[in-house]
Amino acid sequence: MLKEEGKVKKVLPILMAIVIVLGTVAACTPQTVTVEVPVERTVEVEVEVPVEKTVEVPVEVEVPVEKEIVIYNSYMSDPEPREADAGQVAMFEEKYPNIDVVHSTIAHEDFKQAIRAYLTASTPPDVMTWFAGNRARFFIDKGLIMDVSDVWESEGWNESYPAGFRAMSSVDGKQYFVPASWYWWAVYYRKDIFDQYELEPPETWEEFLQVCETLKENGVTPITIGTKYRWTAAAWFDYLNMRINGPEFHIDLMLGKEKYDDPRVEKIFTDYWAPLIEDGYFIDEPAAYTWQEALQFLIDGDAAMYLMGDFLRDSYPDEEESKLDFFRFPIIDPSVPIGEDAPTDGYFIAASAQHTDAAKELLGFLGSVEAQQYFADQLGRLPTNMEVDTSGFTPMQQQGLELIQGADFVAQFYDRDTTPEMADEGMNGFMEFWDNPDTIGDILARLETVRQEVFESE
Amino acid sequence: MERRQVLSKSAPYLFLIVPLIIYLIWVVGPMFYSFYLSMTKWDGLSAPVFIGLRNYQKLFKDPVFFVSLKNNLKWVVSFITIPVAAGLGLAMALNRTIPGEKFFKASFYAPMVLSFVVIGLIWSWMYNPAHGLLNQLLRMLRLDSLAIGWLSEKNVVMWAIIVVATWRQVGYVMVLYLAGLQGVDPGLLDASKVDGCSGWQTFRHVIFPLLAPVTVIVVVISIIDSLRAFDLVSVMTRGGPYNSSSVLANFMYIEAFNNYKMGYGAAISVIQFLISVVFIFIYLWRVLQTEMEY
Repeated sequence: MLKEEGKVKKVLPILMAIVIVLGTVAACTPQTVTVEVPVERTVEVEVEVPVEKTVEVPVEVEVPVEKEIVIYNSYMSDPEPREADAGQVAMFEEKYPNIDVVHSTIAHEDFKQAIRAYLTASTPPDVMTWFAGNRARFFIDKGLIMDVSDVWESEGWNESYPAGFRAMSSVDGKQYFVPASWYWWAVYYRKDIFDQYELEPPETWEEFLQVCETLKENGVTPITIGTKYRWTAAAWFDYLNMRINGPEFHIDLMLGKEKYDDPRVEKIFTDYWAPLIEDGYFIDEPAAYTWQEALQFLIDGDAAMYLMGDFLRDSYPDEEESKLDFFRFPIIDPSVPIGEDAPTDGYFIAASAQHTDAAKELLGFLGSVEAQQYFADQLGRLPTNMEVDTSGFTPMQQQGLELIQGADFVAQFYDRDTTPEMADEGMNGFMEFWDNPDTIGDILARLETVRQEVFESE
Repeated sequence: MERRQVLSKSAPYLFLIVPLIIYLIWVVGPMFYSFYLSMTKWDGLSAPVFIGLRNYQKLFKDPVFFVSLKNNLKWVVSFITIPVAAGLGLAMALNRTIPGEKFFKASFYAPMVLSFVVIGLIWSWMYNPAHGLLNQLLRMLRLDSLAIGWLSEKNVVMWAIIVVATWRQVGYVMVLYLAGLQGVDPGLLDASKVDGCSGWQTFRHVIFPLLAPVTVIVVVISIIDSLRAFDLVSVMTRGGPYNSSSVLANFMYIEAFNNYKMGYGAAISVIQFLISVVFIFIYLWRVLQTEMEY
């Protein structure tokens, strides 16, 4: 095949130039949007071999010194938590020189699948990280988690842990779980925009609606939300339910003891949630955005409020963070106890653990003031032990702490409080409602059928 | 028979034994285990409980299953028409010596080289209603009413994802057809020119029939790929909003690994397998037929 070199030499560079220009234009046009990309992490296994020493002396016979081991599996695979986790283990080993910790860190998402294999193995890991709430209950109810009420008693945690955390770790009066770190949920807002329109953080529902109306009149979308992965919508359900019907009803609903087609549930949607959507207080097309993409509206000042967990500050540009503040989700019925969502991470011991004594020592350490102080200082997470010194915390941490300590009940979040299947259907239901608020009756009827199948077939 | 003859006759089988054993252990064995699992109720923790065909009964009453089947069907229909036509057209256009032909061929094929996760992510950004490239372009052209939520409107989302998959597939089909076109005897093309055929007549009566084997393979592969579709859906919408973009593979994944209903998930995968097997057999039959012709 003959090529006319003259033509090629002319056309090709022009084509290249066009491609480069188009590419640059395409790269510059969209604003930077941060999205979480699932990243494969390699599993690092650290194994320490227990050392056996026997010292033989001709006259005296010494007892051989055997080191105890405890197997500890953790899902803290992100770089900062991982370091803090390793630090805690090092502190423990220093304090208890005769116990060796076989510490494995597994990728966070993979751990959620792997834990099922761990708990049913014949030689399970002794101590494991896990989430509080239904996620732990699921295994507790199957008898796979060890009762550690004795550790709670001996460490004095029944006094030094807030009532809410103790309640969440107990089943039938016995403690199975040790909560260690947590974060709060609240309505984060732009202080400067509020100041601009002379608005105060609302405390009641009427005040909240006023704030939304004022913002809307001034061209600011009151509330931003990214519901692509659905759980951000579940937050609104949690809070509205807890504020209207009380945290006890909410948790009973999560546990399948209340019905989804109960008029009290329907009231949430028809009287409170639908009006917010229909009055245009949320951004357009929330289902198209991940929660981080929706955060952009708050950063740009196109929206003023976001119901979100404290971790939103991780994705907020540092120089803008000073414009951010938060307030408690407004009170709807003052006679109803205050419930808050505070997803908590913690530890438990497998029921069939082989090294029970060493495991209980480790568990005791992880819940102690020393370990939690270290963890809180390193990571900025909040500790569960009330005896931890909070004077070194940032003002926001202090504020968050007060928010939760002032609550009567602490819930874990919709998809951690109820079973995965119910959560999946429930969240789909919320999305469908958001798209078409009039169909809520049918949606709730369907969710009720699912609830019966899921909970009553157990 | 002489020893050498025995060896040479059994050589193919001896070579095949090792891969065959590996295949039996890691593909066929688990396949049969899945058939068994589809007839149990299993949460992945306790022992599986045999429940017969109850999973299938439940499946055929599940609206999400039918939405998934419909979405897979949309995918199949799109895949066997658009990439085939576009790929063939591109192959015909690029089969001649034009300046920059290698560049064009490489750039059309490039999407096949990218991972689904990367493609899904970047296209989600482009589909972003407020800041994405597509809507910004539409607004620039004063077509604001068309600047919708591409991945959040339930009637549009499946097609939006299929557009991405099709875009990726076109290059692959083009390469297959380019290879097929190399096998077209240029003597036949000259003969048709001598006979006075127009370009279209040559294509329709000479080239396209000669490409029939390639077309069959392309169609079968497209059908199988569209039945397997998972990555794009999982990355872009995870089957949302509320299952409007659910496909069989994604549905199976959520039921098995998110809802811990391994038996139910296995039943879905068995159905997926049965649908695919029909087309796989057509493909194999076709391949074997052409082999035997030699």
